[in-house]
Amino acid sequence: MDMQIDTALKRARGYWFIDGFTEMAAGGLIVILAGILLLSGYAPRASFAGWFLSVTSEIAIAKLVGILAAILILWWLKDHFTYPRTGFVRGKQVTATQVLVIIRNVILFLFLPILALLAAALLTASARNVLASMPAWFPVGLGLIWGGAYLLGGEWMGLLRFRLLAVMMVLAGIAIGVWQFAIGLPTFPSNIQSGIFQPIVLETINRTLISLGFLILISGVILMISGLVTFLRYQKENPTPYTEES
Amino acid sequence: MSGSLQNLSGLDRVIHEPARLMLVALLSSVESADFLFLLKESGLTKGNLSVHLSRLEEAGYLRADKTFQGKIPHTEYSLTAKGRTAFNEYRKKLDPIIRRRH
Repeated sequence: MDMQIDTALKRARGYWFIDGFTEMAAGGLIVILAGILLLSGYAPRASFAGWFLSVTSEIAIAKLVGILAAILILWWLKDHFTYPRTGFVRGKQVTATQVLVIIRNVILFLFLPILALLAAALLTASARNVLASMPAWFPVGLGLIWGGAYLLGGEWMGLLRFRLLAVMMVLAGIAIGVWQFAIGLPTFPSNIQSGIFQPIVLETINRTLISLGFLILISGVILMISGLVTFLRYQKENPTPYTEES
Repeated sequence: MSGSLQNLSGLDRVIHEPARLMLVALLSSVESADFLFLLKESGLTKGNLSVHLSRLEEAGYLRADKTFQGKIPHTEYSLTAKGRTAFNEYRKKLDPIIRRRH
């Protein structure tokens, strides 16, 4: 009986993903962001600071506009397609405390380790080597974190396909890491304190961004395909809106 | 009688009925849901579902908010604070019984 309760809880939690629209919208947005990142990574630049500002502002605008557009499109699609077929569910509202906890965890488990590594790289030779190999290990690490998030989310909502997404994200991260390693990693000088903006450091940052761009791109495409398959299955199972006779 | 079996006799009868338990479980992880969602997920007939929803509403575990979407009536169901507490209590009581039986 406890198993049935658990299944019911998970089904209600995962209802937002029942039709595949959410994955397709998120995947589309992620592909656009990856496109901006990759185009910026390969574009010629006059100065690092100017380029960095340009990329971050473009991504911020794309995120803001993209998220708003995705919400409106999802709202319309669900209202006209999903709710008439399988009903309406209003998800639990996220409280300000929960948002703060999420932000805290992202800072603690993602940004702080990277910043600590960058700081340590300026001080020790071994950390410098780790920084030099960042284009290879960063996508592997991020793929693992991303895969873990899919796995946990999938278990929480009872979505088995998220296990496959998790495996694919980990494999994508490893593949990009191997690719970056295979084309050769930058060799750092023994002393980089003299200038953080020297070419070798900028090359490392640039290649890490390109790795990140490809990982995000693959993630977006995987999500879109997963969403499309889910949508086709949902449409097959629920071809017409519910009526009294159906 | 062992402690766990005494717990069994103290289970909330309103929630303990399988169909109602399913409905309460579905509603416990969302803010609210409409009749169609509950109908599809529970697999009950419309008549049966209405009866069970009414029973939960009478017990004060459920609130029904009736609105109109154009000319079509639309009812959203949500658990009340009393309903959420009752469901959590029910799970707390059930958990040791299931553990002891396995």
